Amino acid sequence: MQLAESAEQRELRASVRRFLADKSSMAAVRELMETVPGYDDAVWKQAGAQLGLPGLAIPEEYGGAGFSFVEQAIVLEEMGRSLYCGPYFASAVLAANALLCGADEAAKHQWLPGIATGELVATLAFAQDGGAWDGTGSGLTARHDAGEWRLSGYRSLVLDGHNADLVLAGARTEAGPSLFAVTGATPGLAARMVPTLDQTRRLAHIDFNDVSAQLIGVDGAAGEVLGRTLDRAALALAAQQLGGAQAALDMAVAYAKSREQFDRPIGSFQAIKHRAADLLLEIESTRSAVLYGAWAVADCSDEVPVVASLAKAYASDAFAHAAGENIQMHGGIGFTWEHDAHLYFKRAAFDQQFLGDSAYHRERLATRIGL
Amino acid sequence: MELDLGPEVAEFRADLRSWLTTNTPSGLGDLTDWRSFGVTGGRRPDGLGAALADPRYREWEQRLTDARLVCPQWPAEYGGQDMDAVRVAVLNEEFATANVPRVVRGMGETLVGPAVLVHATDEQKAHFLPRIVSGEDVYCQGFSEPGHGSDLAAVETKGVVDGDEIVVTGQKVWTSGAARANMMFVLCRTNPDIGKHSGLSYVLIPFTGPAVTFRPIRQMSGAAEFCEDFIDGARAPLFNVVGGLNNGWRVAMTTLGHERGGRATVQHLRFEQEFWALVDTARAYDRLDDPLIRQQLAWAYTQVQLMRFSGVRTLAQVAQGQQPGPEASVAKLFWSEYHKRLGEIAMNVVGADGLVRPDGENYPTTEWQNVFLAGRSGTIYSGTSEIQRNIIAERALGLPKEPKAAR
Repeated sequence: MQLAESAEQRELRASVRRFLADKSSMAAVRELMETVPGYDDAVWKQAGAQLGLPGLAIPEEYGGAGFSFVEQAIVLEEMGRSLYCGPYFASAVLAANALLCGADEAAKHQWLPGIATGELVATLAFAQDGGAWDGTGSGLTARHDAGEWRLSGYRSLVLDGHNADLVLAGARTEAGPSLFAVTGATPGLAARMVPTLDQTRRLAHIDFNDVSAQLIGVDGAAGEVLGRTLDRAALALAAQQLGGAQAALDMAVAYAKSREQFDRPIGSFQAIKHRAADLLLEIESTRSAVLYGAWAVADCSDEVPVVASLAKAYASDAFAHAAGENIQMHGGIGFTWEHDAHLYFKRAAFDQQFLGDSAYHRERLATRIGL
Repeated sequence: MELDLGPEVAEFRADLRSWLTTNTPSGLGDLTDWRSFGVTGGRRPDGLGAALADPRYREWEQRLTDARLVCPQWPAEYGGQDMDAVRVAVLNEEFATANVPRVVRGMGETLVGPAVLVHATDEQKAHFLPRIVSGEDVYCQGFSEPGHGSDLAAVETKGVVDGDEIVVTGQKVWTSGAARANMMFVLCRTNPDIGKHSGLSYVLIPFTGPAVTFRPIRQMSGAAEFCEDFIDGARAPLFNVVGGLNNGWRVAMTTLGHERGGRATVQHLRFEQEFWALVDTARAYDRLDDPLIRQQLAWAYTQVQLMRFSGVRTLAQVAQGQQPGPEASVAKLFWSEYHKRLGEIAMNVVGADGLVRPDGENYPTTEWQNVFLAGRSGTIYSGTSEIQRNIIAERALGLPKEPKAAR
C-alpha cells in the first residue's frame, strides 16, 4: 500500500480536471440536466476514446488500461467535484465490476471491451421500489425454459437505465440470486425514465416482460458477486461524494472571503470559520477513508467490506453536511435556482440514499465487525 | 494492509523486532496493557502505577537508554540517534504490537525539546537536552493563567532580569504532572511596555524550592490531574531563557505547532482498545440487539478507524518527503470531540446503572462514568475546540483573521 499520491496519479488528476473543466462546466451541466438523455454523448465518447476513463481500471486482457481502483477513485472524485453528467458510474463502476467480480470469462471478453472504450453503455439493475440495495430483492425472477433464461418482473432505481445498451440484472432463480445480461433492444424490456430530485442523475424503472436473457456466471451464485460489486460501488460513490463535498466547501470558503457584511469579510466571523473548519475535518476524514478503501480494493484486502460501508456512511453524511452548509454560508443567493449550490445539495441527497443510506451502512458495518 | 515504506525501512523493522525479542525483560508485557497508556481524561489502564514501579520497567528503561531509544528522534550529540519520523512511527508500531512501553519524557520530549532544538544556542542544547533524555529533568508547562487560557499571549506572570538571572513571579494553572516535575517551561512577560506578543519570554525555571508552590485542582470526575501553581520570585540563570529575551511568543508557537508525525499510526490504538471494551460492556448488558446502540457503536468504530486511516495517510506523506496534509491539523479536534461523544454513548450503553457509583471515599466512579465525566476536559485543554477551529479555518482554509479591534 502506498497511500500518498504518486506523480503519475497527480498527472491523471490534473488531466481529468482539465477535461471536465472544459467539457463539464456548470453551464454545460445546467444545459444537459434539462435534456432527455441527460449527458453529452460526444463528451462521453471522448472520455472513452481519448482519455480511456471507462476502461481505466479494467484489466488489459479485457480491453482496459489495467490501472487499479486507486486511479479510478481519482477520476470519480473529479467527476463528483464537477457534477459530471454521464453514465460513468453505471457503466464503468456498477456494470464493469459486476462482470469483474465474477468468474465468467466468456462474458468478460464479450462485454468489457465495449465498456472500456465507452462504445457500450451498460448498467446494473439490482434495486427495487423503496430500495432493497443488497441486490437480492424478489421483484425480478428468472426461469429456465426451452433452453433459454427468461426474466419477469421489474427493477427500479436503475442508474442510467433509460438508454443503456446493456442491462445486467440481478434476479432470483430457484437456485438463488443470479446475474443476467439483457441487451437494450431485447423484446419485452421496457425502460421508463423517472423524474429525479437530482437532475444531474438519471434513474429508470425497468419492466421485464418475459425477456430472453443470458446467464452470467453460475446459476444461484450471484449473491457474493453482487455483494462484492456493491462494496466497490459504495467506495466509488464515496469517492464521488468526496469530490462533491470538497467543491461545496471550496465554494463556501471563496464566498466567505469575498462577501462583506458589517465592514468585514464574513469569513472573519467565527460563526462562519467554525462551520468551515468542521467541514474540513469531515472532508479530510472522508478523503482518508476513500484513499484507504481504494487501496483495500486494489490489494484485494479482506478489509474491503468493512471499509466500504464505513466510507459510504461517513461520506454520505459529510457531503450532505457540506452541501447544506454551503447554502447557509451563501445566505439568500444560496437558495436561489440561479446559484449552483442547490445542484450539489440535490446531488448530495441522491448520493446519500443511493446504494443505501448512512444508517443502513452503519448497521452493515456493525454486523461486519461482529456486533 | 501495511504501508509500503521501502526496503530500508522494512529492514529497520525486522532488526527492531529481533532486538525486541532479545531485550524485552520477561513478563514486561504482562504488567499492564501498555497500548492504552492514556492521556489526561482517558480510560485508566489497570495497574499502570504498579507497572511503572516494577523493577522490570526500570530494567527496560535502562536498556532503551543504552540503545539510544529514548528520544531517538533527537540529534546523536544530544543523546538521540537522528531517527526520522518514519522510523519513529515504525518504532511506535512495533512496540505497540509487542505490548511494551515506549519510554517517553513527557512534555520535556514533546514540547521543550523541539523548542530548544529550533531556538536555543548550541550550549543550551548541550545542557538541557541530555538531561531530558536521562530523565533527570522532568518538565511541566507554565502557560495558562487564571485570567488567560485561550488568550495565551495576554499572560501576566512577570519575568524581571536581575544581573545574570531572571526572576519569575506570577500564577499559572492547568499544569499536569506538577508533582513529578522538577522544571517548568514558563511563558512570562519580560517587557510590559511593548506589544502584547512581543514582550514575552520562554524560560526554563526550576520547579522546586520555596519560591514554587502548587495545589491540585479537583476535577468534576473526582480526579486531580491538574494543578495551580504559585511562583514567587523563582530564579533561573539568563542562560535558561530560550530564543532570547522578548522572543518567547515565537518559541511557544514552535512548541505548539510541533508535528508529531511519529505517533500518527499509533494514536488510534488506545481508542481502539477502549471501543472494544465498550462493546464487551454492551454485550454484558445485552444491548447489542438494540438498533440505536448498534448505530452509535458503528459510529464510534468509524471515528476510530478514521483516525487510523488518517494516521497512515500522514505517515505515507511524510515517508515521501511531503508535508503532512490538513488531516494532521485536525487530529486534536477530531479525537477530543470523538472522545466526549464516546463518553455519552457509554452512558447510553449502561443505561440507568450509570446513575449509581461504586461505594467509597473520594467519589470513585466506574470506568465509563469516568470517561463520561473526564471526557469533557479533552475539548478544552491544549487549545479548546474553538481555538482549534480558528486555527484550521485561518491556516488550512485561509479565512481572514478577526479584525484587530475585536481580538
